[in-house]
Amino acid sequence: MKPYSDKAWLLLLPAAAIMCFVAVIPLLTVFNYSFHDIFTIDSRFWIGPEWYQEIVTSSRFHAALGRSLLFSAIVLAVQIPLGLWIAVLLLRAGRVATPMLMLLALPLVVPWNMIPSMWLTLVRDGTGPVWQALDTLGLTLDYKFNALHTWALIVAMDTWHWLGLVVILSYAGLAAIPQAYYQAAAIDGASRLATFRHIELPKIAGALSIVLLLRFMDSFLIYTEAFGINAGGPQGATTFLSLDLGEDIKAYSYGSAAARAMVYFLIVLSLVFAFVKLRQTREAAT
Amino acid sequence: MSARAIVLRTLVFAALALFILLPLAQTLTLSFTSTLRREDIPTGSYSLINYRNIWESAALTSSIVNSLTYVLLNVALCLAAALPAAYAISRYRFTGDRHFLFLLLAFRMTPPVVLSLPIFLLFSKAGLVNSPVGIAIVHCVFNLPIAIWILESFISAIPRQFDETAFLDGYSLPRFFVKLLIPAIAPGIGVAAFFCFIFSWVEVVFARILTVTAGKPITMAINALFGFQTDIGLVMAMTVVSLIPGVAMIWFVRNHIARGFVIRT
Repeated sequence: MKPYSDKAWLLLLPAAAIMCFVAVIPLLTVFNYSFHDIFTIDSRFWIGPEWYQEIVTSSRFHAALGRSLLFSAIVLAVQIPLGLWIAVLLLRAGRVATPMLMLLALPLVVPWNMIPSMWLTLVRDGTGPVWQALDTLGLTLDYKFNALHTWALIVAMDTWHWLGLVVILSYAGLAAIPQAYYQAAAIDGASRLATFRHIELPKIAGALSIVLLLRFMDSFLIYTEAFGINAGGPQGATTFLSLDLGEDIKAYSYGSAAARAMVYFLIVLSLVFAFVKLRQTREAAT
Repeated sequence: MSARAIVLRTLVFAALALFILLPLAQTLTLSFTSTLRREDIPTGSYSLINYRNIWESAALTSSIVNSLTYVLLNVALCLAAALPAAYAISRYRFTGDRHFLFLLLAFRMTPPVVLSLPIFLLFSKAGLVNSPVGIAIVHCVFNLPIAIWILESFISAIPRQFDETAFLDGYSLPRFFVKLLIPAIAPGIGVAAFFCFIFSWVEVVFARILTVTAGKPITMAINALFGFQTDIGLVMAMTVVSLIPGVAMIWFVRNHIARGFVIRT
């Protein structure tokens, strides 16, 4: 058991001070602004929770929320099983594992606003290699005006971008399982699937829950990459929650933007709270 | 393992490598292609003109320096603040420890767009706009939690007797940190520096709003290249340059990359 000492706070002081400056104070400011009608930052009027009423009852918010939830659901359904499968394959791949992990980490180091430009050069009309390949198959890709194509492109791009993180964190969890478990499973004559279901999956549940949370949050509030592909179009079909907020900021409606930001922060906060509670009950059970 | 399984595995890895490399290969090819109409070089032919143009443009070369400055500052700041915090969390229980960890997780998950407006107002008042210091500080909002989680998991892997022996030998806490703890968790510091470096390097929203007139980072310098007549070859050459530090970081931590990190709650 760790000793109890409030002097530990002295060691936390630098980190706490930085977090206060970059997170706590800005959030309190947003909270304050969200109750005001703001013409300029110096002339603002208290209007109470009007912005919140307007946002949570607006069909624009509901539509964006629905799109973001659908996008996250697709992203998780594609990336988590795929990443887990690749991690399991890599675990038995011997020397190939490290170069493959390095390869998978490559997209993580590309600046976010460059990722859409890279993908757009692939699918550009006439010259993009993917466009040409589809063209020879008799298919046309029209990501600008066909909503389904825009969605497919953003999901493919997001998978390219983030698959590496899913694989790296799952692989880290899998690599930490002692060999003795596998030997015991082999002696019992367990099938590959049974080994995965009863040994690997429970052992990496902790690592996997982090991947789930990170991927959910980052896809739910995706901004830069989605904006770069089609700026929320066609006709708002890819206007996710963050893009909606970006519109408010660009239109200088700061009060509404602040309330919207607060609503998003509350969604983040409640999800993180649920995640922490789930983990604590799981830890208490084991 | 059966021959069929090995064939399947090879096919999966090959398909994966193709998927990952395709956009990168296209970028690399375009970066060595002259894509604008020029008098001396025919459009679409192989050329080093894009890289020469980067070298000759003060805006582009200085953006590389700007980016490197704030990213390195951010890594230094995160490590310096995270190390004592991670040590405290690893070794002690204290009032509010769970709340602190909860807030760390919540702040890591908060998207930059949510904070962008007040951060801009606060940083303009503090005179931190247009300076690499401002970006280095604001990137702590997502990097500091990650640095703390990574360092904490590495420190917790060291038994507490290690500290106790050092203190019995007369080490003070700062001297213990520098002489014993940091060497013992060197791979952890490498992994933490790697994640901080790449997350700060690729971030765009804060880097854009905090550089209004000067101190533009590499990401904004690339954005500025888009216009009426975009030289896509130059854009791609600049993208390739922006990948170099990240690729170098991957190379440095390749043997530790799979340690990952564990979020404490």
